Amino acid sequence: MPGAGDVTRILGHAGCFWQNVSVAFFPQNHGKYHVGIDLHHPDGQALIRKLAARSDILVENFKPGTTDAKWGLGYRQLREINPRLIYVSNSGFGQWGPFAEGRASYDGLAQAVSGLTAISGFEGGPPTKVGNYLGDWFGACLAAMGALAALRWRDRTGEGQFVEMAQCEGLVRALDWTWLYAGLTGRDRPKTGNRDPVHVPSGVYACRDGYVAVVAGADGEFRGLARALGRPELADAEPFRTAAGRREPARAAELDRLIEGWTAARTRGEVEAAARAHGFAAAPVMHGGDQYRDPHFRARGSVWETDDALYGRVVDYGPAPKLSATPARHTRAGRPVGWHNREVLQGLLGLADAEIADLARRGVVGQWADRPGAKPPDEWKGGAPPW
Amino acid sequence: MVTARPPWREWVREAEDPARVAEKPEALDDLLVLDCSVGHYGAHVLGGFLGELGAQVVRLEPPGGDPARGWGPPDATVGGEGLAFVAEGRNRRYATLDLAHPEGQALLRALAARADVLIDGFPTGQLDAWGVGYRQLRPLAPRLVYVALATHGQFGPRAAQAGPEYDLIDQALSGLLYITGEPGDAAPEQRPTRVGSWISAYAQAAWAGEATLAALHWRDRPGGTGQMIDVSGAEALMRYLEYTLLLYHTRGEVRERLGIYDLAVSVYTFVPVKDGWAFIAGYTDPNFGAICRIMGRPELAADPRFRTTLDRTVPENRAALREEIAAWSAQYTASEILAKVLADPGPGVVVFGPVNRPTQTLAEEHWWARGCFARLEDPVYGPLLLAQPAWRMTRTPPRLKLPARPAGYHNRDVYARYLGLGPARLAELEARGII
Repeated sequence: MPGAGDVTRILGHAGCFWQNVSVAFFPQNHGKYHVGIDLHHPDGQALIRKLAARSDILVENFKPGTTDAKWGLGYRQLREINPRLIYVSNSGFGQWGPFAEGRASYDGLAQAVSGLTAISGFEGGPPTKVGNYLGDWFGACLAAMGALAALRWRDRTGEGQFVEMAQCEGLVRALDWTWLYAGLTGRDRPKTGNRDPVHVPSGVYACRDGYVAVVAGADGEFRGLARALGRPELADAEPFRTAAGRREPARAAELDRLIEGWTAARTRGEVEAAARAHGFAAAPVMHGGDQYRDPHFRARGSVWETDDALYGRVVDYGPAPKLSATPARHTRAGRPVGWHNREVLQGLLGLADAEIADLARRGVVGQWADRPGAKPPDEWKGGAPPW
Repeated sequence: MVTARPPWREWVREAEDPARVAEKPEALDDLLVLDCSVGHYGAHVLGGFLGELGAQVVRLEPPGGDPARGWGPPDATVGGEGLAFVAEGRNRRYATLDLAHPEGQALLRALAARADVLIDGFPTGQLDAWGVGYRQLRPLAPRLVYVALATHGQFGPRAAQAGPEYDLIDQALSGLLYITGEPGDAAPEQRPTRVGSWISAYAQAAWAGEATLAALHWRDRPGGTGQMIDVSGAEALMRYLEYTLLLYHTRGEVRERLGIYDLAVSVYTFVPVKDGWAFIAGYTDPNFGAICRIMGRPELAADPRFRTTLDRTVPENRAALREEIAAWSAQYTASEILAKVLADPGPGVVVFGPVNRPTQTLAEEHWWARGCFARLEDPVYGPLLLAQPAWRMTRTPPRLKLPARPAGYHNRDVYARYLGLGPARLAELEARGII
């Protein structure tokens, strides 16, 4: 929408804006073209139709049926204009089904109703809310994969299609053996806190400088851990000798105490070095500052520094997959509302300056309102906008 | 414009009808994927994802089987195999091949020359050391997309000394562990808390699947070639961490764990209900107003502590507001509150639902109506309850065709189909332990 733009522009840490951008906005918006079009206006809808006519993929997350019934921009209408279009709709509960009628969803709800909350955390404790918007991210990744599969089909046959992704169903799909177990036993899998349900010993242990995760699931790894703990005899002693013996809850708890007794006197780095030397797994529980300074993530571009034409130095998470021939990259950071109106309306649709000015005068297209989240940095003096 | 079209929900239900999936084609049925991994759940999930979308996936295990076949809870197995392996072992042909043996390596080269995708879930550098890594396969198979999965990735200071692969290690490095769980460190449960499922496997399979399909799209354009894709389970989850890094970059501030609260918005939390716990959210002003109205407490919306979303995210106010809501919610069951939420005429929308135990999720009609789960009576493993593919596609819907199979179950089929090897040759290879 012209003016305020999307609501995610103002979400953030207690109104923390940096150069008038919410830090919660950037990570999802690098490298996009930002256009402000009023979808409620018939002329705005006509612009979307023109854009859809020459697009490969359209992504939307309005309440199911909104684009179809309210704006005439649903898959049924747009495929008439562009049969090659792949139309991706994202929602909480799906486009249809009992819960799709009038029920809204956020990530936290998807965590709760899917069963993820109930299998995470400690028995008897409060529900564990996964700290990030896991269902949004995983759902988005799956939606992209589905869109690309549809694109492959289109490239083979010329046929577009409708793809839908419900974030609750994404999380249902990400619970490994939860459903198989319930189906066989009629029971819920137990919460096991920080102990991996399969690979034991494992846990999150206090160190002198934070926490460290340790896992030694295989016999050889446990032998290494026992050596590091100064208790090499454990690897040959009953019941610790076998994985089944180590998984017995009382034995596992005993191992947790031994491990934490050892880690508590050490730094995360010392534990990690011992794990490497003795052949078990350990890693620091990293926070944002640790990652920011980490040479490994910097070397891999997973912590990525952009010299942005509008915002200057931006350090954010880089693309996750590394492709050797066509590497993913950050080219520019997100931009204010409607920043690329002219580039898109003229560059893609061939509209003349006078037509764009007319659309802007009538409020069909527009740029930022004078508010944080929507507008450029205060230092920006106007003039030719950097791309 | 007056039209006689059916309403959207009816149209889309018909277009996606789960009962008619088998009548439609599959998006990726022209692709051959070699799934090579040992003890790597992310690779295991990725093979299944591509198989759900129609690719022909061949799983190559060491003779004797992948150690991951033993993974699962201690108190239940199927056919003597771990539930974790069986849950995600779907939609592929199972062959065995000893990649440490020169003849096994020769057979892999021959398969790779015909394949579109190879999934490498071995320890970093292992296949390269055996002469069947990306560098060695590329001249034989220039159109191959080679996707390797490892906690620390294929390069960088930590990649050279990588340890064993575990989900918990990925969660720790990703930063997700740090921001999940109750704040403080007085009680044992007040510490960084693990996500209950092996979530890094799913995150890396989704990124790797997306990147693989992007690479195939490029390969099939004029001048395109195969390439190598490097995905780290730790980074796959780290990319989901939102503003964690920018908060540090712009303010030097570390994003801390907040238990049942959200840093950016309020109301967005868990509250007790008569029959357990529930999630409730309404963080914009109109949506928060709707919560107050449904509670019969309209005056709360005007309370200076709660008036704007900024007021409501101040930690003391956030906790005080949750107390108010909890005192109300604890008097009702989750379904009683959901009925109130759905009956509210607006303005504003409240997001509400129960914290479901898995068996409660399974009792809800919605997921069954949409075909989210499948109950199979499998000739090898017996009764299986499995999650169906998560995507809906109107033209090429993904599908669950075949659950996991024992190691080498499809050896004859695979080696005859792709390499033309007959039973005599296979018997000889088997006698020498190569398959």
